[in-house]
Amino acid sequence: MMRKSSIIRTSSEAGTSVTYIKTLVKTRTPTELDQFKKEISIDDHIISLKKLQERYNTDLQDGLSRVKAGELLRLYGPNCLISSATKSRWLVLAEFLFGGFAALLWVGAALSTIGYLVSYYQDPRTPLDQLYLAGVLVAVILITGIFGYYQEAANTSIMESFKKLVPKFATVIREGNMLTIPAEELVIGDVVEIQGGDCVPADIRIIKSRSLKVDNSSITGESEMQPRSPECTDTNPLETQNLAFYSTNVIEGAGTGVVIATGDNTLIGHIAGLTSGIEPEEMPIKKELKYFIKLITALAIFIGATFFVISIALGYDFFESFIFLIAIIVANVPEGLLVTLTACLTLTARRMSKKNCLVKNLQAIETLGSTSVICSDKTGTLTQNRMTVSHMFYNDTIVDVLDESDKVNRNAEFKNLCRVGILCNRAEFKPEQEKIPILQREVKGDASESAVLKCMEILIGDVMTQRNQMTKICEIPFNSTNKYQVSIHHLQNENKHLLVMKGAPERIIDRCTTYALNGSDVNISSEKKKALQQAVSKLGYMGERVLGFADLMLSKDKFPVGFKFNTDKVNFPLEGLRFVGLMSMIDPPRPNVPNAVEKCRSAGIRVIMVTGDHPITAVAIAKKVGILSSESETIYDVAMKKSISVSKVTAEDKARCSARVITGADLREMSQSKLDSILMTFWEIVFARTSPQQKLKIVESLQRLGYIVAVTGDGVNDSPALKKADIGVAMGISGSDVSKEAADMILLDDNFATIVTGIEEGRLIFDNLKKSIFYVLTSNVPEIIPFILFVTINIPQALSVLAILLVDVGTDLWPAISLAYEKPEADIMSRMPRDPQQDKLVNTRLMSLAYCQIGFIQTCAGYVTWFFVMAQHGFFYDRLIGIRKEWDDPFTNDLADSYGQEWTYEERKILERKGYAAYFLAIVVTQICDAFIVKTRRLSVVQQGMSNWVLNTGILFVIFVAGVILYSPGVNQAMQFERVEWYTFVPSLPFGLFIIIYDEYRRYFVRNYPNGWFARETYY
Amino acid sequence: MLTIFYQTLDDKKPKWQLDRSLIGSNPGLGFRPMPPESNVESTLVWYRASDAANTFYWRDQLDQFLKPYLKQRSPEGPFIECEPGISPETGSNKVCDVKVDEWYPCVHGHGFNFNSSEGGPCIFLKLNKIFGWLPEYYNSSSVPDIMPIHLKDHIKTIEDKHGANSNKLKVVWVSCEGENPADIENIGSIIYRPTFGFDGQYFPFINTDEYLSPLIAVYFEKPARGVLINIECKAWASNIFHDRLERRGSVHFELMIDY
Repeated sequence: MMRKSSIIRTSSEAGTSVTYIKTLVKTRTPTELDQFKKEISIDDHIISLKKLQERYNTDLQDGLSRVKAGELLRLYGPNCLISSATKSRWLVLAEFLFGGFAALLWVGAALSTIGYLVSYYQDPRTPLDQLYLAGVLVAVILITGIFGYYQEAANTSIMESFKKLVPKFATVIREGNMLTIPAEELVIGDVVEIQGGDCVPADIRIIKSRSLKVDNSSITGESEMQPRSPECTDTNPLETQNLAFYSTNVIEGAGTGVVIATGDNTLIGHIAGLTSGIEPEEMPIKKELKYFIKLITALAIFIGATFFVISIALGYDFFESFIFLIAIIVANVPEGLLVTLTACLTLTARRMSKKNCLVKNLQAIETLGSTSVICSDKTGTLTQNRMTVSHMFYNDTIVDVLDESDKVNRNAEFKNLCRVGILCNRAEFKPEQEKIPILQREVKGDASESAVLKCMEILIGDVMTQRNQMTKICEIPFNSTNKYQVSIHHLQNENKHLLVMKGAPERIIDRCTTYALNGSDVNISSEKKKALQQAVSKLGYMGERVLGFADLMLSKDKFPVGFKFNTDKVNFPLEGLRFVGLMSMIDPPRPNVPNAVEKCRSAGIRVIMVTGDHPITAVAIAKKVGILSSESETIYDVAMKKSISVSKVTAEDKARCSARVITGADLREMSQSKLDSILMTFWEIVFARTSPQQKLKIVESLQRLGYIVAVTGDGVNDSPALKKADIGVAMGISGSDVSKEAADMILLDDNFATIVTGIEEGRLIFDNLKKSIFYVLTSNVPEIIPFILFVTINIPQALSVLAILLVDVGTDLWPAISLAYEKPEADIMSRMPRDPQQDKLVNTRLMSLAYCQIGFIQTCAGYVTWFFVMAQHGFFYDRLIGIRKEWDDPFTNDLADSYGQEWTYEERKILERKGYAAYFLAIVVTQICDAFIVKTRRLSVVQQGMSNWVLNTGILFVIFVAGVILYSPGVNQAMQFERVEWYTFVPSLPFGLFIIIYDEYRRYFVRNYPNGWFARETYY
Repeated sequence: MLTIFYQTLDDKKPKWQLDRSLIGSNPGLGFRPMPPESNVESTLVWYRASDAANTFYWRDQLDQFLKPYLKQRSPEGPFIECEPGISPETGSNKVCDVKVDEWYPCVHGHGFNFNSSEGGPCIFLKLNKIFGWLPEYYNSSSVPDIMPIHLKDHIKTIEDKHGANSNKLKVVWVSCEGENPADIENIGSIIYRPTFGFDGQYFPFINTDEYLSPLIAVYFEKPARGVLINIECKAWASNIFHDRLERRGSVHFELMIDY
């Protein structure tokens, strides 16, 4: 189904003047999305070129004909990425303005307006209070809604970031002519030319290559250059060398290819369509808010309805009762809560960004706190993304040079090995880095050569000078067929030539006849060879990349100074060399990651490694960082112990393994339910050699099992999984723009440990939000009760609507928000993740404690203060009860008080305003006391301390604001207050103290009797 | 808790008085009989003079209102006859009597003139009680320009007769007038019972038991019938300020008599 499209007329040189329809947005069905989820399975790279030519009806020399290309373009549409129809910006904005909590506030605003209109209809002099209320509610909705929208607006531009990846133009051969046409007009079967600096304009099969190298990082995120040639090197389309994908970059060389897929059907098209089509999981906090809204609405309607019946029974007419009903419901709406929530989350987000954790979506913070599984990438996230030499093998010993470099035995064999390491190496430090630690210096050269260079710089030092002393005469660079690299150097001291070789260890050993051992060169017997090979595999099983090193001193006679070495027609020996040793390297874990993984473990969060890397490397790193615990065993451990290959591990042994390593191939054959059951049975799992589609599969499976899943990813191909996850985590440094768009959170330092910091913050904010909500809800009670008493026992209003607003969106705000800064009460990372079914943000215990206990005490405080002030002016409580009708009648101009004085209407109203002020003051005082008790849910405030200076300042601020409101002339009149005597707060003090003492006792019981009544019924 | 705080208060004397209290020192003026509650928040006195049943409500309202004034007097009781302008000694527990039964035709026996075929009704005015409030009386030199001429003349006459310091000048004067020219025309002549104002002996009110607020019966001799007449009555003393909006120092009501 098309939603949006535009008609394009071509005007390019290809000039067939084709008209075609360009779809801009498309609504994709779930089946289509499922198609996208599958891995591409094609055989275009396997079949012969001839067959290919037939299949696509093209000519590999001259390309398609213009007419044919025009037809195909009309038929299949343009070669471009099409967004899945997602919610429009307006819909998103509408959701922020009308969804969830905002809806509740809208209902409140509508009801108050209706209430006002009904009252107005009955009496045009009705005060505007109800309208103020509606106005404030609308303001709250608009401010928080638009704020939230801007927070999220950036997320909708994901398709834009995809579109930035694709090229605008392509060089194509049609009818034997080379043309440049818009990339959009490419069709299947087109023959295209690509060269260094280009961007591949569609999925193509390479038919000609001149040392063509591409960078697939736009799809895989791994930025290593990959050669491309016409040979099919792998049946997996992602691995084979003869396919190049749409949007990847050509680094060097040039080549020709046939287009085998365009637009949506390309690999990136799949990913883009899938990513933009995936509906992310609903944030847990949204669910929490929904539950809370249900709770508070039910409560409001219950109280309202009860009250409606009561007022009808008391003899009020329907209209009056209806107005009461509305007023009660509206009074139950916590106006300030949405602001508080948003502010708390924003503050936490700011705090987190200081810790390198950039949160794009505020609500994601809380999600992070409920996370129960982290699916983490390996490279760059768990590791440093920097190949480092970790072991050297010489003189029959394996030496750890990474952690124990000071214990290295610097014997002659060591020096031999290092000499080869220094010389047979093309890597160089970039200039002007003397002050940077060696490991962090930038190097020109590939990853393993850089590793060796750095290792040598650390162990020997001053590599460049030594290289200069032993000038390189010639070299044969590494290539994939030889798998070695050779260079010949002139040793000035001895005036001889030295040949040095480095490469795949098996190949190197094969070329050696002697071995430097204990100061002399021994012949390599077949046993010795076996021993050397075992050393190689031992290092291999540690997950390390092993390089072999050999050298050969060339005789002065055969190769005198000035000898012309020829590398094309080799005129020097490449066999019969001396084996000097091995070096093995690994991308080591980041230093703080094992600690972070341990933290996750104690916090009940599973950490699952999902990597595209080799399983052995994956297992090695997983062990190092603790994802696989030291006592757990995988089939790779078994294989290593028994020195057999993995495929030979018996089923019996497999069953005994406590941890699982699952490869992409395993996963491909696994059913959904099988994957689910494995994820359920095994706690420690490593996924290796996985494709991005499989990552999505793993995420979906975990979500089915009820986990809240955090996923890290950096490549474009990770973006579907990032979007699907409850919380997608992109990498700030290595991550692609697309992945950052798809994610909810960005790790600015790419460090796994930062996620754990984030989780800690998320858990803390969940606890603290409870406190904020408790605080905000408590004052609702003293705000509602005056209205109820007004109607039931007919006493004058003790609190105005305006005063209620002043508390809800005034004095309550700062303290409520500052609770976000409250420090944790215990080690929050030592408990299990919260169970979203059981542990709700707002539960009935919280409501009943806030409403029935603390709120009730506050109401008493309010009324005692109010009655006191009224009595001071002549109205004792017995006079006040039942007085309402006369009190509020503007034409009763002589209402007698308890002393017989007669009050005019205006005078009474002034007194009423003084009453408001007194009651307001009592709420402020008791809310300050409330702030002391909500600081902790469990601990005593003495244990917690008063170090939350934001809260402390907030309390002072509240006192200041209350002072300004009550005492500054003009302001108090505008707020419908009358100045009260300074000591008016005194009657509320005992209640405030009572609140503090009462709750200290309650928490004492909660702490000391975790299964007692208090803990069960009041611990929120 | 509340009782504890109530201990700080006096039973007889308000904690805050006059200007320190919100009630202030500018008493409001009230009128009786008041319209029924069902006639929402109105100040319209509207009846059919020829229909006794129709006027019953109004008469009954006045009867109820005047009940405390018509209690049996006994010599031991607190009521004493006071000289004009001289209030009972403080602490004596005596209060000045208000003899409402002597104000013909504004008496129960005459139906407060509600059923008169020619004349208008009697409307009673009262000044709001404010603890400790004392009026500051006018004399002929201090009377404001806006005071009705008949009052100015009356004050002048008394001053001439009894001297400028006479207790007979210690009166909170009262005047009633039609609000608009048409009303002035329709209102006809007005008779004040017992005098043109509230006599000074009744002030100050200090919450003595059985204290009776001074009253004035305003007898409309011959108001126009079948039309609505807007009437405003004002109390005059130099510490009474008139504020129609806040209904202080004056009172507004409408009168409408059907045939």
